Amino acid sequence: MASPLEDRILKDLSNGTAWLVVLAIVAGNDEAIHGYEIGRRLADEAPEGLSFKQGTLYPMLRTMEAEGLVRSTLVPSSEGPARKCFTITAEGRRVLATWVEAWKRTGRWMNRVIGGIDGNR
Amino acid sequence: MATVDPVAEYLSHLQRELIGVDAAIAHDALVDAEAHLRAAIAAGKSPAAAIEEFGPAAGFARAYAGAPVPEPHAATDGAGSTRPAPSAADGAGESWGTLVALARIPLVGVWFRGRAWSSLLYFLAPCFAIALGTFIWVVCVGSLALGTLPILMGLPLAVFLLGSVRAIALAEGKVVEFFLGVRMPHRVQPVQVLTPIGGVAEVGFWRRIGCWLTDVRSWLSLAWALGNFFVATFLFTVFVTLVATAFALLAVPVGHELGLPVVQMQSEDTEVQFLWQRIEPDANGVVHLSTSIRLLSGVLGFALATATLWLARGAGWVYGQVVKAIQVARPQAVARRFTVLS
Repeated sequence: MASPLEDRILKDLSNGTAWLVVLAIVAGNDEAIHGYEIGRRLADEAPEGLSFKQGTLYPMLRTMEAEGLVRSTLVPSSEGPARKCFTITAEGRRVLATWVEAWKRTGRWMNRVIGGIDGNR
Repeated sequence: MATVDPVAEYLSHLQRELIGVDAAIAHDALVDAEAHLRAAIAAGKSPAAAIEEFGPAAGFARAYAGAPVPEPHAATDGAGSTRPAPSAADGAGESWGTLVALARIPLVGVWFRGRAWSSLLYFLAPCFAIALGTFIWVVCVGSLALGTLPILMGLPLAVFLLGSVRAIALAEGKVVEFFLGVRMPHRVQPVQVLTPIGGVAEVGFWRRIGCWLTDVRSWLSLAWALGNFFVATFLFTVFVTLVATAFALLAVPVGHELGLPVVQMQSEDTEVQFLWQRIEPDANGVVHLSTSIRLLSGVLGFALATATLWLARGAGWVYGQVVKAIQVARPQAVARRFTVLS
C-alpha cells in the first residue's frame, strides 16, 4: 500500500499531466467528444497507480473553453441532460503542439536522470 | 417505500456544497455532474461505481467554483473584471492598465467601465425590442389559444406558447449575459424520467410536455414575457429621457465653442429661460449664452450623464439577476424531483 507521501506524489503527477492528456484526447477525436467519453478514455489509458477523478474534468474543460483551447456544443441525449461535446480550436492545436514539444524535451531529460538512478542508461 | 436515487442524493449533496457559489455556475455544475453520472450508468456502471469514479462532491464543487467561465461578453468592466491584464510590455497592456486605473476613479470612473456603457446600450435598444416582440407574441398566441379553447384547438396552441416562451427566455438570457455581464447558465435543464436504479428512461413527446407544464420556469417565463414589457418600456423611457437631456446640456457649451447657433428664437415676444437665466437674443434672434451659463450647462450635463451610467449599471445588475432567477429555478428543487419510488 502506498504511503501518504507516495499518494501525494502520484496525485501531483496526475494533476500535472491531466491538462495535456485531456487536450490530446479532444484533439485526437475527429468528431466532438463528450465529457464522459473523455473521462472513460482517461481511466482506460491511465498507467497503473495514476488515477483521475472524473469530476475534475469538467472544471478543467470549462477553463480550457474560457482560454479558447476548446469549443463546446450541446448534443441532445435520451440518457439524461444534453451532453456537452468538445472540439479543439486552432488556438488549442497551437498550444497542444507547444506543450507536446515541451513534454518530449522534459521526457528526454527525465529519462536521462532517472536512467542513471535505476542503472538502465 | 420511497428510496432516494443515489445520483439524486449525490446531486443534493453537491448542491449543498455549492451554496454561496454563483447560481449560474452552481446550475452548470449540477447539470455537468448529472450528465456524466447518467451517461456512466447508461454505459453499464452501477450508481455507486459511477459516483466513486466521479469523485467527492466537495472537491468537484471547489474545483468548479474556481474555474474561469467562458465569457461571451460585449465588454468587461475595467474595475471589476477578473480578466488578466495583458503584458505591460506591449501597447495593449499599457492601454488596458490605464483603462483599469481610470475605471477605479471614484464616481467618474464609470465613464471608463465598458459594462456601464453596454448596460445603457441594452436598455436603449435590445431590451425594449425583445420585450415588445415577446409581449406581442404572447398576447397574440395567448388570445388565439384562449379563443379556440372551446374547440380544443387552443390546447396545442397553449402548449406551443409555453414551449416558445421557454425558448425565448433562454435566448434572452444569452443577450442579457452579453450586454449586462450577469452570468447565465450555459447548460440546458434536463427534461427526463428517472428509473429506480438511477438510470434515465426515454422521454416521450407527451411526457416532455408534461414536464414543461410542471416546470416552474415555464410559468415564470410566461409571467416575465408579459411583465417585462412594462419594465422594459419604463426603463427605455427613463434612459432615453436621461440620455437626451444629458446630451443636450453637454452640447450647449460644445456647440457654442464651435460657433453653432445653439439657441435661436423665432419670436421676440416669447420669453425663454435657460438654467434659471432669461435668454436675450441679438438682432438676428441668435442667443449668446454667458460663460457661467455655458459652464453650468456642461457641468450639469456631465453630472447627469455620469449618474445615468451609474443607474444603467445598477439597473442592469438587478435586471440580470431577475432573468437569471428564472433560469436557475431548478437547483432548489433537485432533491424533491429526483426522489423515485422503488
